[in-house]
Amino acid sequence: MPKTLVLKLEGVFKSFARVETDDVTNAVADVNLSMRNGEFISLVGTSGCGKSTILRMIAGLISPTAGRLTINGVPIEGPGPERGFVFQKPALFPWLTVEKNISFGLRMSGHTAENGERLARIIHLVGLEDFKNDYPGQLSGGMAQRAALARSLINQPDILLLDEPLGALDAFTRMNIQDELLSIWQKKKQLMIMVTHDVDEAVYMGTRVLVMEAHPGRIRTELPIEMEYPRNRSSALFVEYRNRILEMLHYGTKER
Amino acid sequence: MTETNRGERFLTMTKSQLLELEREEKTSAQKRWDVAVSLLPVLCCAAALLEYGCVPNKYPNASPQRYAALLILAGGIWLLLWVWAIMRYRRGDKVRFRTLRHHAPFYAVLFLLLAAFDYLTLKTGRLLYPFIPWLNDIINAAAADWKSLLVSTLFSLRLLFLGYFSGAASGLVTGIACGYSSRVRYWVHPLIKVLGPIPPVTWVPLVMLLAASLFGGSVFIIALGTWFSVSVAAMTGIASVDRAYYDAARTLGASERQIVLHVAIPHAVPNILQGMTQGMSSACISLMIAEMLGVEAGLGWYITWAKSWAMYNRMFAAIIVICMVFNAVTKGLDLIKKRVLRYQSEVVQ
Ligand SMILES: Nc1ncnc2c1ncn2[C@@H]1O[C@H](COP(=O)(O)OP(=O)(O)O)[C@@H](O)[C@H]1O
Ligand SMILES: [Mg+2]
Repeated sequence: MPKTLVLKLEGVFKSFARVETDDVTNAVADVNLSMRNGEFISLVGTSGCGKSTILRMIAGLISPTAGRLTINGVPIEGPGPERGFVFQKPALFPWLTVEKNISFGLRMSGHTAENGERLARIIHLVGLEDFKNDYPGQLSGGMAQRAALARSLINQPDILLLDEPLGALDAFTRMNIQDELLSIWQKKKQLMIMVTHDVDEAVYMGTRVLVMEAHPGRIRTELPIEMEYPRNRSSALFVEYRNRILEMLHYGTKER
Repeated sequence: MTETNRGERFLTMTKSQLLELEREEKTSAQKRWDVAVSLLPVLCCAAALLEYGCVPNKYPNASPQRYAALLILAGGIWLLLWVWAIMRYRRGDKVRFRTLRHHAPFYAVLFLLLAAFDYLTLKTGRLLYPFIPWLNDIINAAAADWKSLLVSTLFSLRLLFLGYFSGAASGLVTGIACGYSSRVRYWVHPLIKVLGPIPPVTWVPLVMLLAASLFGGSVFIIALGTWFSVSVAAMTGIASVDRAYYDAARTLGASERQIVLHVAIPHAVPNILQGMTQGMSSACISLMIAEMLGVEAGLGWYITWAKSWAMYNRMFAAIIVICMVFNAVTKGLDLIKKRVLRYQSEVVQ
């Protein structure tokens, strides 16, 4: 990909008003990050430490309380099709067939010329040809998540935000989709940012792992993973990376 | 054929073959019993015919062949359906026969009830003659006055649909606007809350006084009830959209307008259809009351008119027509609902 893309978070804070009491939750505090296309960022941290909040700000679904989020210097204002989002729950529209769900983004942006071809290619990519006329209620968890992935890929996003997309799947399906995701990324070299609570997954996929700590939510460590793909989960280096991250996470929770 | 080949055939089954496979096989005694039961309506139809033809009448009965012809027609239709279902059964499609078998006891009893009714009215007069006439008498009345019955029916339908559709359309607009925009809800919701619980017919006397035309006033009253049901249902449907759907649509590049059109409204469709069904029953009630109280046309008016001239057979003819019309309308709505909500029924259990 010749075009370079730089996503920057500068001094980003996000606080939420609490419902019951008068104080606020500092979900994200003073986060400074720079990410570029071709990177695969894994974001790990204990539950409630602000991982989803960071992704939602990058997606433009919520705006920061303070700080700047920019793409190539241009501030992010609201969501856009160039930033895809795959949620933990697939959130497929139950009234549309799998195919219509996947082509949703194309129909919204009024593309027509290349519709059919691109749609067929993406449905093939996620292996849902046989199910394209089914309704989401008929799909298994893994297939539904594949459909959701295809739905955001159809817009050919420069940035793909993945919020624990594989968290609810069984180990076998998860490993399959991990490899599919990696091969998509290796072909297109988008910027992928994936939240996960599975440290193995973070090390297996990421070029860089960001470890967060909670209350307030900060980036504790950035750890580049210097290993070739496909990675061997049982190699000494892999195990070392995993243990270091686990240690940091453990330490992070003990501190509270 | 090898073991694996025999297994392969399960992979290319159709849905009906699968359902068939999962049923228990019936014994031949059970099968014979099913055939007998499925023919019961024909037998009971014959019994009703015998009762009608052989028991002496208490009152003079003009054109007696009409009711008999109707009975024969009904029994004949059943017999034809039966032959068709058996033929399908032989070719491996058991569903038709099973449906027929399922409905057979009901229709058998229906024919027996017709016979009993005939006995209690025409044959013995035990059932409040002349207020309740026998069926052939009602048929004769309908045949004698079919033109004004038809005109009345068309008039009622026109009134019903004008009121219903204008009510449903305005209900959709208010419901969707209220559901999606909190500013609209702020102003319109109190109105719905105050007007909603008042039965629309409450306004009949006022509308009779104020409306420039009774017809227009009746359209308004019918529309009012439908408007209320549909707007509340649409509002509920839109307010209950999971935020995750909005988020997904926005990250896929949908504009606010597209979100309303492609997410909020489709999500509310089951509620809206529910509201439209409810609105239809309220519209039918309003229609009858409006016609009986003021509008001098339509089936409701026909009923009061026939009653005031003590022509009870015509009154019953009109009631039967109303029953058929309202049933057809409800059935039509149901079919639309099934078709539109297909995606809900195909969820894996
Ligand atoms: N819309 C919201 N309103 C109020 N509090 C919120 C909201 N979203 C998130 N939070 C709070 O912010 C914190 C971080 O949430 P989140 O980013 O979802 O965590 P994570 O994804 O890391 O589990 C949590 O304490 C959560 O309760
Ligand atoms: Mg989260």
